[in-house]
Amino acid sequence: MLTHPSQLTAWKARILEESPVPKKTVVVSNGTCGRASGSLAIIEAFGQELERRDLRETVGLEVTGCHGFCELEPNIVIYPEGIYYGRLKPEDVPMVIEKTILKNKVVDPLVYADPKTGRRYALQKDIPFYRKQMRLLTEDNLRIDPNRIDDYVLADGYQALAKALFDMTAEEVIREIDAAGLRGRGGAGFPTGKKWEFCRNESADRRYIICNADEGNPGTYMDRSILAANPHSVIEGMIIGAYAIGAAEGYIYVRMEAPQAVRQVTIARDQARKFGLLGKSILGSEFHFDIQIVEGAGAFVCGEETSLMSSIEGRRAVSRQRPPFPAQSGLWGFPTNINNVETWANVPLIIKRGAEWYSQIGTSKSKGTKIFSLVGKIRHAGQVEVPMGIKLREIIYDIGGGIKDGKKFKAVQTGGPAGGFLPAEFLDLAMDYDNVVQAGSTMGSGGMIVLDETTCMVDLARHYMHFTQEESCGKCVPCRVGTRQMHDILVRITRGEGEEEDLARLEDLGDSIRVASLCGLGQSAPNPVLSTLRHFREEYVEHIKHKKCGARVCKELISLPGQEARPTDRKAKKLKHD
Amino acid sequence: MIKLKINGREIAAEPGTTVLEAAQSNGISIPNLCAAKGLTSYGGCRLCLVEIKGRRGYVPACCTPVEENLEITTETPQLRELRRLTLELILSEHPHACLICSEKKNCEEYKSTIRKVGEVTGCVLCPENGQCRLQEVVEELKVERVRFPASYRNFEVRREDPFFDRNYNLCILCARCVRVCAEVRGASALTVVFRGPQAVIGTALDRPLLDSGCQFCGACVDVCPTGSLTERALKGAGLPDETRSTICPLCSVGCTLEVGLRKGRVISSYPKDGDPVNSGQACVKGRFVLRDVIHTPRRSLRPMLRRHGELADVSWDEALDLVAQRLTSNPERGPAFVVSSQLSLEDQYVARKFALNILNTEPVLDSPSPSAPSAYRAVLQEQGISPQLNFELASLPAAGVILAAGTDIALSHPILWVNVLKAVQRGAKLIVWNPGESTLDRWATLSLRTKPGTELAVLGYLSRWLLECRPKDQWASRPGYEELKASLEKARSAGAISSAGLRPEEVQSVGRLIDEARPAVFLCGPGLVGRPDAAELIRMLWNIAQLVEARIIPLAAENNERGVVELWLPAAANGLSLDQVVQGVEKGRFQTLYLAGTFPPLGESRPESLIVQDCFRGANDSLADVVLPAATWAETEGTFVNVEGRIKKYKRLLDPVAMSKPDWWIFCRLAEKLGSKGFVYQSAAEIAEEMSKTVPALHEASSHHLKKSRPSFVLEDKKPASRFIPLGVAGGTAGIASETPASQNWLDSPDYYRGLNLCQEVKGLRRLREKTRLHDRKQEG
Repeated sequence: MLTHPSQLTAWKARILEESPVPKKTVVVSNGTCGRASGSLAIIEAFGQELERRDLRETVGLEVTGCHGFCELEPNIVIYPEGIYYGRLKPEDVPMVIEKTILKNKVVDPLVYADPKTGRRYALQKDIPFYRKQMRLLTEDNLRIDPNRIDDYVLADGYQALAKALFDMTAEEVIREIDAAGLRGRGGAGFPTGKKWEFCRNESADRRYIICNADEGNPGTYMDRSILAANPHSVIEGMIIGAYAIGAAEGYIYVRMEAPQAVRQVTIARDQARKFGLLGKSILGSEFHFDIQIVEGAGAFVCGEETSLMSSIEGRRAVSRQRPPFPAQSGLWGFPTNINNVETWANVPLIIKRGAEWYSQIGTSKSKGTKIFSLVGKIRHAGQVEVPMGIKLREIIYDIGGGIKDGKKFKAVQTGGPAGGFLPAEFLDLAMDYDNVVQAGSTMGSGGMIVLDETTCMVDLARHYMHFTQEESCGKCVPCRVGTRQMHDILVRITRGEGEEEDLARLEDLGDSIRVASLCGLGQSAPNPVLSTLRHFREEYVEHIKHKKCGARVCKELISLPGQEARPTDRKAKKLKHD
Repeated sequence: MIKLKINGREIAAEPGTTVLEAAQSNGISIPNLCAAKGLTSYGGCRLCLVEIKGRRGYVPACCTPVEENLEITTETPQLRELRRLTLELILSEHPHACLICSEKKNCEEYKSTIRKVGEVTGCVLCPENGQCRLQEVVEELKVERVRFPASYRNFEVRREDPFFDRNYNLCILCARCVRVCAEVRGASALTVVFRGPQAVIGTALDRPLLDSGCQFCGACVDVCPTGSLTERALKGAGLPDETRSTICPLCSVGCTLEVGLRKGRVISSYPKDGDPVNSGQACVKGRFVLRDVIHTPRRSLRPMLRRHGELADVSWDEALDLVAQRLTSNPERGPAFVVSSQLSLEDQYVARKFALNILNTEPVLDSPSPSAPSAYRAVLQEQGISPQLNFELASLPAAGVILAAGTDIALSHPILWVNVLKAVQRGAKLIVWNPGESTLDRWATLSLRTKPGTELAVLGYLSRWLLECRPKDQWASRPGYEELKASLEKARSAGAISSAGLRPEEVQSVGRLIDEARPAVFLCGPGLVGRPDAAELIRMLWNIAQLVEARIIPLAAENNERGVVELWLPAAANGLSLDQVVQGVEKGRFQTLYLAGTFPPLGESRPESLIVQDCFRGANDSLADVVLPAATWAETEGTFVNVEGRIKKYKRLLDPVAMSKPDWWIFCRLAEKLGSKGFVYQSAAEIAEEMSKTVPALHEASSHHLKKSRPSFVLEDKKPASRFIPLGVAGGTAGIASETPASQNWLDSPDYYRGLNLCQEVKGLRRLREKTRLHDRKQEG
């Protein structure tokens, strides 16, 4: 139990004293994708090999969360040098120990080689994928075993909390966050400091804060990675936020579909409780706060704040009209502040290093870094953290290593089912909240799906519509019926049964759904369609008029050699049915 | 008042109302489907979108509270187009061939195209056709085409429940039914299940409503804007020729109902909107059973005499001659004259006058359940206190704590429950006290379950705890305080709290709850104050109410029970009880038994001569020598006094069926036959006039009084009585109805669906009743 802030420093000193840093440490990335690629076997192999050679005492073996470079999982980093080996197999382990650990030599065949230039990079920090990033939140993932609170304390964890609780008033904390220019990472980019202030200024005898970890966009996995790799950073951010807002209870709403995140955050919460970082009199102050963890069952709409709250209350997850905003009337009718995982994780950083430092990162209106899940037809799929304002081209070509298999870049989808597409002409777009919106998409929570010439945009739009219409909560008409109608039209088009008026229908419907829907899900649901219609209209025309799918995705529209294209004509089909 | 502008017009609105309500009350129409009076805002249909100056995009009027200086535009070309498209989307999931048909007007008149559509495509076969909210909105928005392919969801129509069908193919998912069920009725039997395009209204685990806690109040049917929920009996019944209002006679609340009449028959009954008693709500009896009660095939149609062992039709004259002769034939073994408490005040007044003046016998009043108000008043009057019985349902929502004891008000007084629920939703604490589980339990802050017969122990403990742990200075100055304290000490031995199956902490928390919140209301049903040992219970209850400044409301269970208390009480104390009559019959004390009203079967004890005067044919007819057909309340006019003490007049809806006559008419003719001149009434109104003069409490029952705008109530002694009654005094002679075996039966297994005995004949009600009783039995088992 910590009862005084100075005990944190003492704790850190004690850890260093009791378990000095070994000469060599092997760090195995063991996030979700690491495990899927076999990191558990690597860990076991290292354990056995170190045991066999009696190196357990002198060589550290650390298991951490995701390092971000998913493409090369399972990977390891060997400290103190920071030597990086990707796509490791268990049979490579003895060699790594033999050469790198015992003899300080690099195992050449295992070293990462840039697929474009062929250059080899032995050190993790030199690899272009990492070099171009600015890893403020994720750098610690390389050092922290999420099962051990000690690791977080070693990385100066909970210092920001001590500072906030004892050196700052609640108003000062809010001012600091506001001055830092932190904006909500969930997608809308609302200034976090303002949001906190609204909630604090509501008069009520109870307030709540919520961490929205119901990450549901297809292809995004930042939030669950943060929770699984560095859960204490989120918890620390929440405690600071609760102090600033005046909440005594917080909820982490996390998808049960991210089991690792659920497990790690629960362990971390329990540790924090054990050490007096949650509960009564945190660090000996007069501030009380505790966190409950609620597992979401995987409805996309639960990511919408009003639905999420009714889900926490144990009711059916249905959105409701705002205003009143959660800051006015949220959980059980009390003022509630909801932030995304990444937003909470930024908070300790700002408090620790100051708003001035933080606000120098990024663009004039979007500060700090943003984590993206870079997936799709890209060489280096992974989780990347970049400063706001970075060019899209840098993300895709420098960090991401360009398009897979030498294909041509077509577009990048950002913002998930709520977002849109950025075609090649936007490659030089400086990525920040406002620019992306201006370009007709949204930043979203950070999904980035790269598409190449083999992607049919009509089919992709249909795919997204299918997703949103299935996931609509079913309350308001435009979202429930409108998205289904749009989906039906798109299905027809991809089958070659499209009509020329369909485009106007889609646009009419899309525009109406956008303005008439009740919550963010419906309001943004037509975006993928409207965005593809704007940038790739010719593909739609091709499907409808020429019954052709250029990307050769829509099965009904593919003609075999020597055969005419066989658009399933509606009339012909009808005749068959009769 | 808040000032705002709608379409440039300055209007004023009540704070807390929505823009939609403000617009509607100022005659500005904004199309809407999911908004309904008394329900929380939903914002699902998106038809009421408006523009507000300074706000981004469009906002739904139904979810936007009025604010000072809002500038609202309800009509722009964009809004019109948006609404039309949204409505087209709604129609794409609702059969709409008729809704957008160009021949719509012709078809109404000439039925030119009705054969072209069926239930799955058009409106003509829909029972809601002509009174459908969706039709209205389509008219309002002038939608003439639907740009989207229609999709019929092809659900099976749910017909397994009594009274109404659920056809979700017509549902537009406005969730009005879900909200009314949860928010107004507190049943939550319905909800939206699944999400996205699969979303549909359903019950838990898709069970029938009968298994889902539904009480078939019909509120969902009434708010449904489409034909999705429709009363089964109305299918093919056509639209009513006219509607008239009446008072429901099936329980003590006395709801005002709007009855639809077609070709001289009642076809429908709906709760009347804005009525001070039930304001738009009814229960299963008023909503679905009324029609069958009036038009049952078991109506008694003609006077009948028993000749050669068979009942044969005769004229009124012939029948009444025989009755007159039987009533006077043997003065020593004079007739027993029994009147049902369910007759109107006028009928009872004449019956009583007839018995006293002509037969020189005290009439016997029969009530199927023990009467809480009469027991309550009798016990207190013995102590020289005339307790207040009047209250208003509309004042219940302001209560801070409510104790509901001795009855399951959600079943026995559904409309009372609606008002209690409002109080609970506003934060009032509800304490439920019953022998078993009740439907109120899930709303209760505290739910006490005690064994019958241990109530005294509980109340004794509670009073002692209040006196010891929550003493107040002002008590000492009240008369009877010291005596009360002393007598409570003595009563300590009456029984330990554990004998009731309770822990002392539970009773203490009851004490805390009733002591802390104001105002406190004790709703006491016959299960508590109708018991044989009720005298002491009532005294204890009275003392506790004085200690915490609570108001006791003894709940009348049956229709007009409260009026009966006013009309009969002074005499009933000395009269015979029904089982004494039955014993008398067995012993041959009475030669003739006259039964006016509906009674349970008499069984073995057959008198020498039995006269049955009832609207319905029943088991007693087989024993009867004379059967006199009475008219139902629907075929006559009269006065009821409801549980509040409110005097309610009802008008004639129909002509009496066949040869049936009002009860008072029968008594008057009999009186004439017996040579009396005092019975020359031409109408019920004349009787009411006389009654209002001779019975002071019913002064306001006179018809000219009812024309005034103020509601009429029973007149009461308004002296505030605040003194304690010491316990343990002799039982007194206060007649408590529960001494009759019928009442004891009722206490053992209360039957909230009985109403008029005939309710049992309505199949749906019988199923609901069986369901509830089955549930009760399981509880006991």
